[in-house]
Amino acid sequence: MNTIDDDTLQAYVDGELDAAEAARVEAVLAQDDALARRVRQMCALDAQLRAAFDPVLDEAVPAHLSALLQAPAAPATKPAARFSVVAGGRGAHPASHRAPRRWLMPGAALAASVALLAAGLWWWQSGSSLVRTQGDRQFATGTLARALDRELASEPDAQAPVAIGLTFRAADGHICRSFTVRTPPVRAGLACHTTAGWELPVLGPSVPAETGELRQAASGLTPAVQAAIDARLRGNVFDAQQERAARVAGWR
Amino acid sequence: MHSSDAVREGLIPLLPRLRRLARALAGQVADADDLVQVVLERALARSAQWRPDAALDKWVFAIARNAWRDELRARGRAQHLFAPEEVGETVADAGAARPAQQLELAQALATLPPDHREVVALVLVEGLSYDEAAALLEVPVGTVTSRLARARGTLQALLGNDA
Repeated sequence: MNTIDDDTLQAYVDGELDAAEAARVEAVLAQDDALARRVRQMCALDAQLRAAFDPVLDEAVPAHLSALLQAPAAPATKPAARFSVVAGGRGAHPASHRAPRRWLMPGAALAASVALLAAGLWWWQSGSSLVRTQGDRQFATGTLARALDRELASEPDAQAPVAIGLTFRAADGHICRSFTVRTPPVRAGLACHTTAGWELPVLGPSVPAETGELRQAASGLTPAVQAAIDARLRGNVFDAQQERAARVAGWR
Repeated sequence: MHSSDAVREGLIPLLPRLRRLARALAGQVADADDLVQVVLERALARSAQWRPDAALDKWVFAIARNAWRDELRARGRAQHLFAPEEVGETVADAGAARPAQQLELAQALATLPPDHREVVALVLVEGLSYDEAAALLEVPVGTVTSRLARARGTLQALLGNDA
């Protein structure tokens, strides 16, 4: 019972264990220096791989590749460079998340309307309380808290009432996640996990009315949220694997 | 909306991740972007096969992995795809100076057999879960984990991290 086989150890590093299993591994690691060193070696290798390949996400996509994805009847006014959109979260700037309006084709707009309708129904059914106040601090509650606990930006659900943006570990050690509440009134914010729950240092209106782009809303990066992230961010934004591992670890 | 439009539009935000995966598989920047071009052409040609309830990223990653395997076969395994002298170009291609450690990493990755390299690319670089990688590669989860463990062992030994 007190040993960890190799498969389990690897699964722990890769964030594949549930919370109970992960806790068991951690209890053994605390007592077993050799195992703990192997975990550190695996984590170091993973970090080395990410350091080598994640910068690709921030490179401009070559125009000849972007051009392959242009609509056949694209308007002549559309410069190919507008497709150099950085995705994947890490190191992304809000401006580079701005999507050409053309992405919202009629079908997508219809789908988005259906999603909004579904989200609206959910809102109506669940009540509107997403925030509780404790002293002068705001905390997520209800569906917002559940979304922050469970949702992964790497596995986005277009129907979900809350869209998760970036996840990262703040300079004070807490894990923070940016999010957008898709249901009206659309709001964007930043939540940081504390012992008292998901505290909300920032929560405000999301999309400037003149753009009305759902995609921009999904990034959750309003200037206020971006400023709050900039003030807290130390190191990198989590990638999909780190995000999943953080969920397994209970966002601690 | 026609499925080809959905695929075409859905691929645009996936391009950076697709390029990262291609870089992890193919190594060199030029080879990787050639691979991405093949993948995009195949994805658009086969867009009718994509089902909207399937994740587009996994679907196109599977196309990328298969296109990479096709490319390996076309060149012949014995050929120099990742020969040491080309590793130097990999680094030069990137434009910026890189630490020696990353040169070593590229060389170490180049020694991995394709079976191992692709699980490293999908799970460790791209961050897929074991289940997702197993589904994409159409192998049992146990095969993914055993290949991953052996690939890690090889890389750690080559990089001198196992001391």
